[in-house]
Amino acid sequence: MAQEIRIPKLGLTMTEATLVNWLVGAGQPVAREQIICVIETDKVSMEMPAPEAGVLCPIVEAGRRVEVGELIGYVAADQAEFETLRAQHAVVETQPAEAEAKPISEPERTPAAEKPRQRPPTPTPTPTQAKTPGDGQRIVASPAARKLGRELGIELKGIAGSGPDGRIVLADVQKAAQDGGQARVDAQYDFGLVAQENEMLSVAEEIPIRGIRKIIFKNMKLSISSQAQLTVHTEASAEAMRATRALFNARLQEGQPKVSYNAIIIKAVAHCLRAYPVLNAVVAGRHIRIWRQIHIGVAMDFGQGLIVPKVRNADTKSLPTISGELDDLAARGAKKKLLPDELQAGTFTVTNLGSWDIDEFTPICNFPESAILGVGRIVEKPWVRNGAVVAEPRVTLSLTFDHRVIDGALAAEFLKNLKDRLEDPRLML
Amino acid sequence: MPDDKKTLMELYRKMVTVRQFETMAGEYFAAGKIPGFIHLSIGQEASSVGVCSCLQPDDYVITTHRGHGHMIAKGADLKRMTAELFGKQTGYCKGKGGSMHIADFSIGILGANGVVAAGLPIISGAGLSIKLRKTDQVAVCFFGDGGANRGPVHEAMNMASIWKLPIIFVVENNQWASTTPVSYSCSVKDLYRRAAGYNMPGQKVDGNDIMAVRKATTQAVARARAGEGPTFIENKTYRIKGHFEGDPQKYRTPEEVKKWQEQKDPIERFSRLLFKKKYLSRKLADQIQAEVAAELKAAVAFAQDSPLPEPEEALTDVYVES
Amino acid sequence: MSERILSSSAALAEALQEEMRRDETIFILGEDLVSHAGIFGQFKGIPEQFPERIIDTPISETCIAGCGVGAALTGMRPFVDFHFSDFITCGMDEICNQAAKVRYMSGGQVKLPLVVWCPDGGGLRAAAQHSQSLEAWFVHMPGLKVVMPSEPRDVKGLIKAAIRDDNPVMFFQHKKLFAKEGPVPEDDYIIALGQAAVKRQGSDVSLLCYGSGYYLCLEAVEVLKQKQIDAEVVDLRTLKPLDMDTVAASIRKTHRAVTVHEACVTGGFGAELAARIQDELFDELDAPVKRVGAKNVPIPFSPTLEDFVLPSVDDVVEAVRSVTYR
Repeated sequence: MAQEIRIPKLGLTMTEATLVNWLVGAGQPVAREQIICVIETDKVSMEMPAPEAGVLCPIVEAGRRVEVGELIGYVAADQAEFETLRAQHAVVETQPAEAEAKPISEPERTPAAEKPRQRPPTPTPTPTQAKTPGDGQRIVASPAARKLGRELGIELKGIAGSGPDGRIVLADVQKAAQDGGQARVDAQYDFGLVAQENEMLSVAEEIPIRGIRKIIFKNMKLSISSQAQLTVHTEASAEAMRATRALFNARLQEGQPKVSYNAIIIKAVAHCLRAYPVLNAVVAGRHIRIWRQIHIGVAMDFGQGLIVPKVRNADTKSLPTISGELDDLAARGAKKKLLPDELQAGTFTVTNLGSWDIDEFTPICNFPESAILGVGRIVEKPWVRNGAVVAEPRVTLSLTFDHRVIDGALAAEFLKNLKDRLEDPRLML
Repeated sequence: MPDDKKTLMELYRKMVTVRQFETMAGEYFAAGKIPGFIHLSIGQEASSVGVCSCLQPDDYVITTHRGHGHMIAKGADLKRMTAELFGKQTGYCKGKGGSMHIADFSIGILGANGVVAAGLPIISGAGLSIKLRKTDQVAVCFFGDGGANRGPVHEAMNMASIWKLPIIFVVENNQWASTTPVSYSCSVKDLYRRAAGYNMPGQKVDGNDIMAVRKATTQAVARARAGEGPTFIENKTYRIKGHFEGDPQKYRTPEEVKKWQEQKDPIERFSRLLFKKKYLSRKLADQIQAEVAAELKAAVAFAQDSPLPEPEEALTDVYVES
Repeated sequence: MSERILSSSAALAEALQEEMRRDETIFILGEDLVSHAGIFGQFKGIPEQFPERIIDTPISETCIAGCGVGAALTGMRPFVDFHFSDFITCGMDEICNQAAKVRYMSGGQVKLPLVVWCPDGGGLRAAAQHSQSLEAWFVHMPGLKVVMPSEPRDVKGLIKAAIRDDNPVMFFQHKKLFAKEGPVPEDDYIIALGQAAVKRQGSDVSLLCYGSGYYLCLEAVEVLKQKQIDAEVVDLRTLKPLDMDTVAASIRKTHRAVTVHEACVTGGFGAELAARIQDELFDELDAPVKRVGAKNVPIPFSPTLEDFVLPSVDDVVEAVRSVTYR
């Protein structure tokens, strides 16, 4: 009996995903739990295991949007059943994804002089057919393509349109988004030519840009290309943070999590965001959209790419609660067990590189958020206090912000307020 | 219907009310207080009051663009009528209908109608409904000599006849269909003769003699209630005013109008009878005129004091919301 | 609920009988109804069960419509059979100037529970005066509701809703669909006016259709499947009030729309749909809205001519290909 392969619901808000690629070809044997395809939501990339051992029979082609619960293929019990399924369904003749990573050596063929009516059933528009609008030319794009472009911050100029007369259609923008804008860049500048292997350079490993890496590509690129970012720094005494942490941790009950520096910083940031809501905002079309909730993302890296799980409504939570949530998110993040919902819908991000002895850095905003706080290491330094040089724990705070949304003085004021709260947590009472 | 003093005096008062209402409407229209256009029935009061005086409150009446008289005769409220003419929220139709669409379904007035002779197919439905519901109601449709030439009249009269529907077709032949004289537009001089083609009784009536109108209507009503079918009544009358207020009336001479006004005015003729019967004196006549005038003054005040509808009122009453 | 297979005619007859048993103010009026229980057998069983409530009229379409208005104004719920929808022109004043407006003109004093039932559509080699699809005329008229079912199941549920509605309802049924069979629940059920049905889920294009257009779409879906195009079929069922929510949800999913009806394209209901879609869903569209309908000529007689003029499955497929860029 063939097993259905359906798109799982990976979180509360997930309604659809993109079927990125099939890792096993049609008619190929698969083992139970073997990864057979990759799906991607706006926030995460997930590998889907085979529900059963058998023969893979994919029926949805890679690259398509798929809904939660949608049937994308079967695992047939044997080759005979596969043939039966193939007779009943439009089986997608997939190629294992490894093929993707290989450079295309053959020149692409252009189906010449074919009228649209006579095209093969599923032709993929080839770049040579598509037109790219040049400078000063009106961009011809469907309304849906324009809308998606606006939402993703992708400029339509430079996207090759595959519709009639070069109209840019939804699929073109979706493709451009998946390429992380790479298609545009490639069109202008062929990295392949510059970075060719030669007698001095040889490739040790080629890592395909996909999955979470592809998402990081997209978001970093969007962040730096679409916002006007700059960073301001200040230094704070960590004396009070150290004391607060010690105060809580001396009274820990059995099983209670230890209060961390990060928890104190998140609490203080959330407190300040209430006072400066413009830092808790995104740019949406012609509006600055200020969020009602304060969801603080915390950058984490477990060697498998950057992830930013969220502490929800951080302004309403106590230090022990925030600490507990951070521990839980980190534990599950390390095991790749976080749900997509836990990784999206943030409003501000905190990133801390102190454990690597970094004193100061310029983070970039976690797109589409408008501000991010970078935290350096806490280190004892000589400091002049009341005319005497004393040893004092110090920490550098770096606030990167989108200058389109947030004025410099306001950002400075926010950071000053944050510093004050960290130096005297009583201000948060 | 008995012709006792009380009844006849009520008819007189009704005729005066119609006359004064129409006169008032003409004046306020000329003064620019009534929007749109209105059609007045001055000179035709014997027909409207005479016919409706033979009906019960649950009997049905459908009338035409020249329908104020029939409304008042059937018992419509003067205040709500006046307010509707003025386009006010308190009018019969909340300002949505105006002169040509006043209706009061609670007293059997199924509406005036802006489309000439459109009432006849509808009255057939009312007649059929009475028959299906097995009540003893009757349904009256007023129309004019102009409407008499429209196709729906043929269908409706034929249908009423084959099914013996309790309907009275009352054509008020007022000699003029807008600018066209009946002598030009009608194949017969006497429209009642057309009834023969539908195998129904046709009666020619002096439409300016209310007693003659009542006599003919009483017979027709009795026939209808007895299940014997429809009757066609032609009330010969005359439209004293133009087709609409402001009509230059180039199609007729002032002498023609004057002749009807002076020699055949239905209210004058009826009052002569009442004087003769000593039901009415000059003094009583003046008193009735004054009482009706006061009633109309109150109606006009009500209309003038009433609010105009809010613009959004226009969006309501299109559908019954379930 | 248990279902049987019934034709559209039988579904209609069943619904009418149930309603007439339920409400004695309902009666049927029209030409040539009694001897054959309707020219399409649509009133089967009614002359026997309700001999006084199914009434043959003379050939008097004006007065038939007018009777509907007059009876509805005086306490009845008339169901008026127009024989062929083409003859509606003879009752236009009664429907458009009277039925549609009487409630409004009288300031909401009355309700007008009237069903004007019209067999319509071509394909029977009946030529230009017996083959039209005129629903768009009535959609244009404030005060009327317009219903146009496709499947027998919908016929039963919608005619009951139309009869129970207190407004005048134009109810169009395609002549070629009377014999078409489908499952019909035995129960007394209502399909509310103004509810479209997504009858096939799809992701690539929304086929917005009704009446005979629905069956064209079903055939087109099979052809499109071969071309890896996954079409969604939305049967509007009621044109007025229009279930724009369902239409919008479908287009938000597919980003492409093709309207399909048998009426000629110019000024047809597809034009209204296309206008509303561009107005309300502009940013969702990945392609222009395409309209499929009859060519803009009167319906001709000879089979080769009529088949050429009426919309075909190929027309639907071609329209879909053009909006899906394949």
